[in-house]
Amino acid sequence: MDTANGNATTASAAPAAPAQPNGHREDPGGFKLKFCTVCASNQNRSMEGHLRLALANYPVISFGTGSLVRLPGPTITQPNVYKFNETSYDSIYRELEAKDPRLYRANGLLNMLGRNRNIKWGPERWQDWQVGMPRVKKETDKGFEGMEGGVADIVITCEERCWDAVIDDLLNRGSPLNRAVHVINIDIKDNHEEASVGGKAMVDLADSLNQVAKEEREKVGAAAFDSGSGAARASFDERVPEVIGEWQERWPNLPATWTLAWF
Amino acid sequence: MASTPAVPIEEQLKQLNAARKLALENSAYYDRIVKGVLPVIGPTSSIELKRWGAEFLAESLATPVLSMRDKESLTLSVLDTLKSLLESEQDDAIVLKASIAAAASAYPVVLRWIIHNSYHTEAWEQTSAIKSRILRIWDGAPAPVRLSCIKFAQRVVLAQTTSNGQEVKYGGLDISLGMVPANHPLLDPRLMEAEATGLLDRMLGVLQDNSNDALLVDATLNCLSILIRTRPSTSNRIINCVLNFNPLKLANSPMTPKNKVLMKSMEKTTRMLMINILKRHVSSRDPNNQHSGRVQQYVERLMRSRAEIFDEAGRKRQLADQAAAQYGDLKRQKMQDASAAAPEPAAPAQPAVIPPLAPGPQTLAAVFTLTNNPGLQAFDATSIPANLVAKIVARTLNTLDQSVLDFAVNGIRSRLHTLQAAAVTAAAQYAAHGAAGLPGAINPATAPLGVEEDDDDYEPNLDAAEDTEQILNKLDNAPPETALDEYADPNAALGLGPFTLAPPPLIDADVASKLSSAAASRLFGPLSSLSSEGPSKKPKAGINRLAASSYDRDSWLTVATRLATRSTFGLEEEEQEEEQTSAVKSEEGAVSHPLASTFNQSIREMLFTYILEDWRPRIEVAVAWLSEEWYNDQLTKRTGLRNAPLHYETWALRLLDGFMTFITAQDKVLTRFLAEIPELSGELLGRLKTLCGDPNTLGLAMTSLLYLVMMRPPARELALDTVGGIWVEYEEARPLAAKYLSKWRPGWVEQQMHLQAAKAVAGGGGNGAAGIAA
Repeated sequence: MDTANGNATTASAAPAAPAQPNGHREDPGGFKLKFCTVCASNQNRSMEGHLRLALANYPVISFGTGSLVRLPGPTITQPNVYKFNETSYDSIYRELEAKDPRLYRANGLLNMLGRNRNIKWGPERWQDWQVGMPRVKKETDKGFEGMEGGVADIVITCEERCWDAVIDDLLNRGSPLNRAVHVINIDIKDNHEEASVGGKAMVDLADSLNQVAKEEREKVGAAAFDSGSGAARASFDERVPEVIGEWQERWPNLPATWTLAWF
Repeated sequence: MASTPAVPIEEQLKQLNAARKLALENSAYYDRIVKGVLPVIGPTSSIELKRWGAEFLAESLATPVLSMRDKESLTLSVLDTLKSLLESEQDDAIVLKASIAAAASAYPVVLRWIIHNSYHTEAWEQTSAIKSRILRIWDGAPAPVRLSCIKFAQRVVLAQTTSNGQEVKYGGLDISLGMVPANHPLLDPRLMEAEATGLLDRMLGVLQDNSNDALLVDATLNCLSILIRTRPSTSNRIINCVLNFNPLKLANSPMTPKNKVLMKSMEKTTRMLMINILKRHVSSRDPNNQHSGRVQQYVERLMRSRAEIFDEAGRKRQLADQAAAQYGDLKRQKMQDASAAAPEPAAPAQPAVIPPLAPGPQTLAAVFTLTNNPGLQAFDATSIPANLVAKIVARTLNTLDQSVLDFAVNGIRSRLHTLQAAAVTAAAQYAAHGAAGLPGAINPATAPLGVEEDDDDYEPNLDAAEDTEQILNKLDNAPPETALDEYADPNAALGLGPFTLAPPPLIDADVASKLSSAAASRLFGPLSSLSSEGPSKKPKAGINRLAASSYDRDSWLTVATRLATRSTFGLEEEEQEEEQTSAVKSEEGAVSHPLASTFNQSIREMLFTYILEDWRPRIEVAVAWLSEEWYNDQLTKRTGLRNAPLHYETWALRLLDGFMTFITAQDKVLTRFLAEIPELSGELLGRLKTLCGDPNTLGLAMTSLLYLVMMRPPARELALDTVGGIWVEYEEARPLAAKYLSKWRPGWVEQQMHLQAAKAVAGGGGNGAAGIAA
């Protein structure tokens, strides 16, 4: 598809309201893309995204790409370090609360962990995730609905390093599932405020992408091939870069990178 | 799971989804459920059902929960449906995309089955039909279908080329040409390999055409890694093809948001693939090592051109920002100011001779008034608040041209000389006329101190020699007249004697250290607001950089590091000595810190914290700082002062310890850090040993050491000693350490073995090993 087409669709592909209020919204039903959010420790940015996307009724899971879960400690050289997949948000919460409630409340950690333990059990590591393993035993997780198959259509990372780690890992895995996945990085600074902004931006991106995917689904059969202009005929996969380009114009402070990779 | 047309599609989909959930919950049901849904999703079903079915088949054939044996039976049972889906469904991209994905998962499984069950010709025929159908629709299909075709072709290539056995044994990735016996009745290995080569060429076509279609380019690039890695016969062809691919071709087209995304995507994806190959090659000692140099160059070139292309935009934006902030204008104004200030006074200065004082008595104000402008002369300077005056004076002196100042000072001096010369006559007149001259204390040599009160009374009756202005001036100058006392000293004559400020109040060590840490923290204040130059932004100034060449973060950090290292050069020693002597006198001498070094130490502490806050990108700051420390230590050593404290080693260790806490296996910055800091020591390298305890970071530590051995000859022995130490202490690291040691210190490992064996025989404890290593 050429550039002229891309511009022609700008108006039609623009989503409704970019920013959603921080809360539930009506589930419109219908087709939904499956999302996966990724940051370094699966604590702040990816969990903010996880919550927001779940509240927007998208199926979503989240991971961290670091070797360990690292949280700020009393000084910069003494971080609190935990193992992925083995430590629950609740146990981290209780440990930090016992260590120094004042400090960890003041720096927002307890607040964050309190939120996280209501979303899912504990931080998960991307590299240990077996893609395609059914996730049927996770009914209590937020965003569980629709995620049973254990695969995602869109992976959103929150930092260039995480995107690199995800792509590198996917290359190493050798793509046994033959399933295409769009991996998108959004650069979000690792603090509570930026994470919140980033979460909103993620929902905006998700809405825009889902809108396009839905349009593709609604076209049936031969009609899809013959209807209208080239842009209308373009598939979801083709329109992803265009959607990201438009999204980037709306969120110029969150530089994005995209690729199509394989699970 | 039989479907009757009476049941609405929504209802059927609901039932199907329930069945799928059942299979996901218990993989034992897969076989039954898949076989059960096949009639429902057949070629005559509605499009919704076919879409669901194709996607369910793709999911089931790919699922990692089933063993190869289970998958075989599942796959064989769906071939027929898959074939009819592909053939009947001409139009719907979603059905085709999922069906081809299912076929990609099925292909290696069927191939394996046929290898062992050559009698089953039917399955192979079906598969061949599926394959040729897919390859036929590949060109001209909608994008999602083409994506799946690329992946299908990749799986065929993977299955029909010879493996080097380095792939994981799951998901059918390990099925390769090597498994096909030469005399197989159905399969001809040579034909299969030829087909694979053809398909690979077809896949790579998108790169050879230098396509702009990022979707297809990315999809192709992202499935090449395993081929390069595990199928040696393909790797040359692929790497050459990728090296000739230019992902930044779009740079010449208009920079629309979409084009930016596409270009960035292709560049980054290409780079990631190349980096992945490099990493794998280095670790696996692949014969493809021949490429690593070229790949490395390619990656570097890509990064440079990317920086150039995207930088262009970045630079422009920055200028605009500056203009918005009036920063650029401010700068320009300054230039104009400077250029205006320099020549302008010089030009009028020559003709504008300082007017000689009118004969007769003068006020002090008149003596110091150089301007001819009556308006300015009339200006009452005392109406300006003192602090403002101080500011104006400081600013003016700062920008004033030296020659102008000299000119003015000389002018005043000559006036004073004239007055002094006239003083003699004046004194005579004074004596003669009885205070007929102005007693305005202008002639200090003759004016007695006590005269002032009398003069004040006298003034109202002053004769016309003095106009009101002068009176006002005189009144204005009344307060400073006390200062004239000094001039009243005959010895001082009229020369401006040396002036000393009152000594500042004494501050104790506590206050001083508080003040210096406050000063240090102010030093770091601007860092957060200073523009952070993009990391790849501008050319590095290297050794030629100046601390204050520009007001950006880099220059400011250079100022900070130099303040930390050099500002009190030569002072610390003295204070340490003093401290020591005082320590001899009183036991508590060590408690008080030397004042000068408190300042340095607080800057150092803050630099340390600053670097650790975000150490990966700030590693450059760390290296720059340590280089300054090292340089300063060298200077200190050269001065030959005893007891002079050396800082380099301490801070290098602290920084390294700081990084260690956060290090992960990908942190190559560690290698860079060790390579770039000016001096290494045994202790410093010893810290690397702690990384060897963790298998994740072991490789990083060893790579760093190897890099030092190879690239830093002066540190080679030291690094090898450390590797030796690691060999002795860490069982896990031995294979890797031994590899390096056997190359760089032949015979050492064997010697160690002997020594250890000897030790064991002697029954001595094993704790001496480290000693021997050294």
